[in-house]
Amino acid sequence: MSEDLAFWLSYLTNGKHLTWYASFQFTIFAAIAGGTLAVIFGLLGAALKNSRFLPLRLVGSFYSSIVRGVPDVLFFLFFPLAFEQAVEWFMATQICTPEAIAAQSAAWPPCREANWFLGTPEYLVLASVSLGLVYGAFATNVIHGAMRSVPRGQIEAARAYGMSASQVLWRIQIRQMWVYALPGLSNVWMLIVKATSLLSLLQIADIVLWADRLGAPNFLPTVGLVHDDWRWRYYLVLFLFYILVTLLSEKVFGALMARMGRGILSEART
Amino acid sequence: MKKLILAAAAVLALGTAAQAQETIRIATEGAYAPWNYVNEAGELAGYEIDLGNAICETAGLTCEFVSNDWDSIIPNLLAGNYDLIMAGMSITDERMETIDFTQNYFPPDPSKFVAMAGTGMDPENLEGKRVGVQGGTIQAAYAEENLASNNTIVSFTTADQAMADLAGGNLDTIIADGAYLEPVVAASGGAIEFVGEDIMIGNGVGAGIRKDETELKTKIDDALTALKADGTVDKLIAQYFEGRGPFYGE
Amino acid sequence: MDRFLIDLGIFAPAALFNIYFAVASIPLGFVFAVFLALGKASKNPIASRLSRGFIYAFRGSPLFIQFFMVYSLGLSFNVSLWKPLGISGFVLHPLFIGPLVLTLNTAAYTAEIFYGALRAVPRGEVEAARAYGMSPIQQFRRVIWPNLIRLAWPAYTNEVVFLFHATAIVYFALPVIGQQKDLMITAKELFERDYNAFLHFSVAALYFLAVSLVVFFVFGLVYQRLMRHMPSAPRMRYVPKWIR
Repeated sequence: MSEDLAFWLSYLTNGKHLTWYASFQFTIFAAIAGGTLAVIFGLLGAALKNSRFLPLRLVGSFYSSIVRGVPDVLFFLFFPLAFEQAVEWFMATQICTPEAIAAQSAAWPPCREANWFLGTPEYLVLASVSLGLVYGAFATNVIHGAMRSVPRGQIEAARAYGMSASQVLWRIQIRQMWVYALPGLSNVWMLIVKATSLLSLLQIADIVLWADRLGAPNFLPTVGLVHDDWRWRYYLVLFLFYILVTLLSEKVFGALMARMGRGILSEART
Repeated sequence: MKKLILAAAAVLALGTAAQAQETIRIATEGAYAPWNYVNEAGELAGYEIDLGNAICETAGLTCEFVSNDWDSIIPNLLAGNYDLIMAGMSITDERMETIDFTQNYFPPDPSKFVAMAGTGMDPENLEGKRVGVQGGTIQAAYAEENLASNNTIVSFTTADQAMADLAGGNLDTIIADGAYLEPVVAASGGAIEFVGEDIMIGNGVGAGIRKDETELKTKIDDALTALKADGTVDKLIAQYFEGRGPFYGE
Repeated sequence: MDRFLIDLGIFAPAALFNIYFAVASIPLGFVFAVFLALGKASKNPIASRLSRGFIYAFRGSPLFIQFFMVYSLGLSFNVSLWKPLGISGFVLHPLFIGPLVLTLNTAAYTAEIFYGALRAVPRGEVEAARAYGMSPIQQFRRVIWPNLIRLAWPAYTNEVVFLFHATAIVYFALPVIGQQKDLMITAKELFERDYNAFLHFSVAALYFLAVSLVVFFVFGLVYQRLMRHMPSAPRMRYVPKWIR
């Protein structure tokens, strides 16, 4: 019995499993960076939508409705590819000589010097920006709505005090809107957490990829422990991991909302 | 002594070429034992990893292995995310249209059918069967061309996933590289068996490289020639593929 | 422009797969969701706990992982269960397992919407129905359900669009059979041939957008019909929250 236990303990802590555990960092990084960026893009989008200048307002509305109109996974794949190509195109206009362009046989990039290597760190950053952009569009709506929920009286009072437009925006509207935005933002956060499961589509060796590799049947003793298809067990672990993260997030947001709600009329907290 | 002179020559060559310091990235799948896989220690291992390192040492290059999904391994080579593919990739005319290959480091190898023992599968007369392949392989192209009309072709992203479905009874047969299947059949203890005749497709396994990288290609080819001559390649083949080779010795 | 039109043509059959996945899972998910919502609101602790657990699990985990898990779980029961029953090829087919997982997933999200609506049904109306001597089934059919569906419809429309978007990841998780490829796999394959990310992904996006708009239009018409008794039927906004 104890031998069994020791065997499983050593199996579950072998290098391959440790790599799997370590790969959780990518997921966590993408969630936190993506979440932060989503709030930033959401604030930007909401500011655009609130702008007095019509073209800016249109840009804000266009951003929030087009990005939400297509599947998140489509944008998630498209953005890093498009960004890479845009950078390479820009580099090409700077450094490619006509001879180099003529010598290039592949369809892309325009010349060899304009190639941009993408490794895991680059992809991870791009994936996070991608998540930020997609869910920033959702956050735009949440924040836009929340800003409008700030009681008019507060804004009028601020103006009467002689605050400038930007002071009103930062000290009153943005300071007070969090209470109204938090329920929506918590929803956006849950979406981001779930979307981090897609990282493997961008060649990041994330938890999902390792679950597949670890669970795949192995027949060769030289490769490692011989076992048949164990994938569902590994996926079950991920399934439970995500549920746990959701549970924790709910608790944290609940506490945050209770804290933020202090001193605000209770009808605001619905 | 000879090695020392070679090494000295390599160092000299390195010193003159400034960009030789640049790291060569080699892409592999990491899920195709014994060609390339992740070992218990969590590191990439296998025939191609050892061979790739030997090539780089001989050619005086600094190399780094990266793993990439099989289905996007050629596009990402072309996009410049790495410089070389060593992932059990067969040299074919179709692939030669988009990329180049070094000389082969595994000779043309028959593709084989496997099935669960006792199912009486007959690949000569497949009708209404579910045939598993790894998407984007030469066997997938073969199955699409010759078997698709009256069978169902199911393609998976890794070969191991196809094996899981065969063992799970969701496939009637799999067609794949003989060198991949042989250890599996041997290790299955009779549960999985070869069926039907072998099929010769492909021109052996080589390293994929972008067409414009002629300089790098020459370096790799020279290194491979040297490693074949001194028996390293055959030694590695014997180590990873039981009962195979020697192919390149006299 | 030519290449754009050619792409439009190539993507049209692929879009059918996405539409199929959505159409196959939405009605079933709807029915299942009604039971789940009633279960969650039920006074029976077992029914309530089970429904709550199901809804929480499927809303709290990524669809991508649900696909992988259900497929490999289904595979592990293949020899012992599906084979003897003779439904092996059917059960593990992406055209079956895709809608199956999508149904479970959308049922959980929809149930949460319905549960919210259920709690918002005016108490007075239910009490009046009870005072009239209606049986629980009559109460549900004549009073609760008509209220519930009207309250839930805008959010449900939203969920349907989301579900359609979710069909984009089916083939990233399940094996591809023959030439059965959806919009995303088609876009990815075309991109890998000529690196024209802007063209191929835009065309795929266009199909998703177009179908989403059709969904909004049709569901908007239904909403107007549901609300026809109101003096001025509230029009459904065509850009609702779109949040799941």
